[in-house]
Amino acid sequence: MSDVTQATKTVAIVNTQAPFSSAAGKEALDAALIFGSFEQAISLFFIGDGVFQMIGDQNASSIAVKDYLKTFSALEFYDIENIYLCKESLNERNLPANFHIDNIQVLAQNEFSQRLHSHHVIYRF
Amino acid sequence: MQNTLALVVTTPPNSNLTTSAINLVHAAIENNVKVIGVFFYQDGVLNAAKHLSIPSDEFQTLTQWQQLNSRYDVPLYLCISAAEKRGLTDELNNHEPSSHELSHEPSQETSNIDSVFTVSGLGELVELTSKAERVVQL
Repeated sequence: MSDVTQATKTVAIVNTQAPFSSAAGKEALDAALIFGSFEQAISLFFIGDGVFQMIGDQNASSIAVKDYLKTFSALEFYDIENIYLCKESLNERNLPANFHIDNIQVLAQNEFSQRLHSHHVIYRF
Repeated sequence: MQNTLALVVTTPPNSNLTTSAINLVHAAIENNVKVIGVFFYQDGVLNAAKHLSIPSDEFQTLTQWQQLNSRYDVPLYLCISAAEKRGLTDELNNHEPSSHELSHEPSQETSNIDSVFTVSGLGELVELTSKAERVVQL
């Protein structure tokens, strides 16, 4: 796979589902880390129930699920620094800005939308 | 230069989005768009299940994928980690069978993945994303 073009495209991964009800969040993160390991320009977006994935102090073991949220801390090793979260989605769910990783940028809907549209490819999970 | 398309299928065979994906590949080919690959991820990996038996009066997704691969050389890439999570593997019974097992089951399958699918990983998704002029996820 040596002929993967060096980051000519920007890729956005949009997370729309809560962390433990399905494998979507984990599979989105797996994809993000692989894009990162190939040095592709990748950004993560969290909107709707997807914002639950960023909330700290969750106890996955109480429902017998593997806690993949810990893996988010690997993003910085792949220089994945563009992590955006929808402010309105947080407010609608009455969630505090208590996140389990740093570098999260909370954006109002308008700016969130503009950032998303600046990417060439959008994957939704 | 010919336009190129990569398709990402994330829905199981019984989803209408899978039917849409198959229709999209057909439409692309008819319009001289080169489909450089279909990547099966999330529940989409279930499309590769060899033993899935859909009632004969319903849409035969596996037959459709087989035809797209054999007639038009559309590459079908399967994410093996997502597949194994859902019971699909190409390493069935890869241990050394004991003489006891051999005597009872002379022919053992080594895979429950249909052979038109290429076993691959997320690196293939990166490559398709990078190469294709347009990427569509269903």
